[in-house]
Amino acid sequence: MQEQHYRPCGDIEHLLGRRQFMGDLLAGAGLLAGSSLLASPVGAAEVAKRGKSVVVVYLNGGISQFESWDPKSSLETGGPFKALPTTVPGIHISELLPHTAKQMHRMALVRSLNTKQDDHGLANNLVRSGRMTQSATEYPELGAVVAKGLERADFPLPGHIATMPAGVGGRGNNAAYLGPRYASVTVGAEKGGVANAKLPDGMTVTADQRRHDWRRFANSRFRDKVDSVEIDAYTQTYEQALRLIERRELFDITREPTKVQDAYGKSELGKQFLLARRLVEQEVPFVEIQPGGWDFHHNNFEFHLHYVSDFDKPFALFLEELAQRGHLDRTLVVVMTEFGRTPRINTGYGRDHYSRAWSIALAGCGIKHGAVIGKTDAKGIDVTDRQVDHRHLFHTYLQAIGINSSSEFDIAGRKFPIADPAVGPIKELLA
Amino acid sequence: MTSMKTPVTLDLSAAKVVTDWTHTANLLCCRVDPTGKYVVAGAIDYTVQRWEIATGKKTVLVGHQNWVRTLGFSPDGKTLYSGAYDGRLLAWEIGLETPKPVKDIPAHQGWLRGLAVSSDGQRVATCGNDKLVKVWSAADGKLIRELPGHAHVPYCLHFVPGSHELVVGDTFGNIHHWKADDAKPSRSFEVKEIFYHIGDLAPFGGIINLAFSPDGRTLTASGLHKASNALAGSRRPVAVSFDWKTGEKRPKHESMKKEIDGTMWRAVIHPTGTLIGVFEKQVGFWNAGVPDVAHLAATPSDIYDCDLHPNQLDLYTAHYDGHLRAMRIGRG
Repeated sequence: MQEQHYRPCGDIEHLLGRRQFMGDLLAGAGLLAGSSLLASPVGAAEVAKRGKSVVVVYLNGGISQFESWDPKSSLETGGPFKALPTTVPGIHISELLPHTAKQMHRMALVRSLNTKQDDHGLANNLVRSGRMTQSATEYPELGAVVAKGLERADFPLPGHIATMPAGVGGRGNNAAYLGPRYASVTVGAEKGGVANAKLPDGMTVTADQRRHDWRRFANSRFRDKVDSVEIDAYTQTYEQALRLIERRELFDITREPTKVQDAYGKSELGKQFLLARRLVEQEVPFVEIQPGGWDFHHNNFEFHLHYVSDFDKPFALFLEELAQRGHLDRTLVVVMTEFGRTPRINTGYGRDHYSRAWSIALAGCGIKHGAVIGKTDAKGIDVTDRQVDHRHLFHTYLQAIGINSSSEFDIAGRKFPIADPAVGPIKELLA
Repeated sequence: MTSMKTPVTLDLSAAKVVTDWTHTANLLCCRVDPTGKYVVAGAIDYTVQRWEIATGKKTVLVGHQNWVRTLGFSPDGKTLYSGAYDGRLLAWEIGLETPKPVKDIPAHQGWLRGLAVSSDGQRVATCGNDKLVKVWSAADGKLIRELPGHAHVPYCLHFVPGSHELVVGDTFGNIHHWKADDAKPSRSFEVKEIFYHIGDLAPFGGIINLAFSPDGRTLTASGLHKASNALAGSRRPVAVSFDWKTGEKRPKHESMKKEIDGTMWRAVIHPTGTLIGVFEKQVGFWNAGVPDVAHLAATPSDIYDCDLHPNQLDLYTAHYDGHLRAMRIGRG
């Protein structure tokens, strides 16, 4: 083996603290947390899925189904917002979504979810992982599964990107046994997108290159002595971060024409949609948009008036742009949330957590456009037709992008079903 | 020889609910007609309920197509005006056996949030989610003037007593004073301490209600402050008063001894000078100029509006549980 020699670096490296030297981008990333084993490829069939993308708009806290996808005219539970016709005859959604209503021919609704979990943390876990939470096994979230299932060796960007309003760094702990390679990398929609991507003052490109050479040298020498998949994952993530920094202009939405930026709007959510569109165009396998909290125990109608309106226009524009640019045929879009809100309007004119009968919306590839799965009763209290839950949805998402959800991950010889084998996809929702 | 009217004395320790009428849907607002014959309430089942105070007889007024959010009477008590989230302003001849709308005005795009009637009864003003304030002729329902340029949604409004001037409170904590014919406000009051903003998305609080004292010298804005978790409704009720002539801001009225989550949906100033505010399930009483509440009188359900009977002894309250209650607060 050829011996590698370390060449003394310039002075500037020694002026940097260790944390900064290791890269703030990776700070707090939990790179070695969770399962340490890298999974083997899902299978040859998944190669055919190359180029697919999934975008999840995660409305953290629980959007009200009454004020979005399943409006009711009940005087007792319906609230003050009316139902609005859409481009699909017979389908009505809340009047708060006039722009989205014009995209319904590219969308589908599931109005019959009963997930039986009203706790934020547990509900968040189950809708993201597609599993019941009582299990002792920690399961990877959808983003990690998609990143793994659609992985391409030559792809220069992370396969699982979460966008936040402000520029933040770090990696999520959401890949479980798939390993940190598939965990979410968080980027911002503002300030150029990637936090801490600029070289520190006084650091030259040459000096930066020398410190990476030194790091690779040290890593390699240590790796020769210790055979560890953790080290491999760490090294891979570090190199991926560097590639991400090299392509940081992709995350800078100010490179878009002003009229496009204006069309998406100045809100945090509008900027996130624009960033997501740019990432989909790069064929990033999984992008998650995380707008702020939607947990309106109080003042539900005033807050939905603003929040849903803030969502409506950029979301509709996002779908329109993806369609016009040809990307919606290869991109599944899911508007996900933790649970719905209670039919009962509480004393503060809020709605509380309600997992017994709620809705999600989907758009794009692999699904039957204009489909409505299931229904609830006139007051929105119970599912009356085609009850499904997060497990069915998880299968459906994966099937829609061509991943065989009935197959298994082979993690160092141990088999892990990709999705809950007790159920299957919502077949009538699949195209 | 002129007759002497017996002065009203508040007896807060004896304040209690003396009348309790029920409806089947949540009540959002209420008003007592100036003659004291009727009390009316707006509900989330799109109706207005009329109770004859002497008998308790209830009549349902049907005409709106969304939550009925605001009510007002002509000074002679013959006409009721109602505004709703359907954006419409309806006028009713309230003395009829079964009142029907005699005017139906599509006043605003989106919710109509507030209405006010001038003290001469000639004008009715409304405001709504279209960020407009509109002034209507009470006689024929025609639009007299439109007050544009509100940067934020106007939540409530009130005619300056004895004039056609308006004060308008918005969701961002601003009060604008519009002279009768001016193209822009002549002055503004800021009450930023009762306004919060959630991220870059939604206002929380603002000027929920405006009231003048009977002598017209004090303007009081009510709402919420100390919001620590808006989404969960953690906030405190508050009223802020101004000297109408000088604009000087006076100490806030709040409940210090007993902290209660709530929004002060309406404050009225009793002829004795006592400020009465409703929030959560409470009716609060503040002595003039004293920040902390003097007395709290609890009711069985959350209160969203109130109005004083012309006798100044009975306070009517509209409740979440669909009840309309009257609290006897004094001796006459």
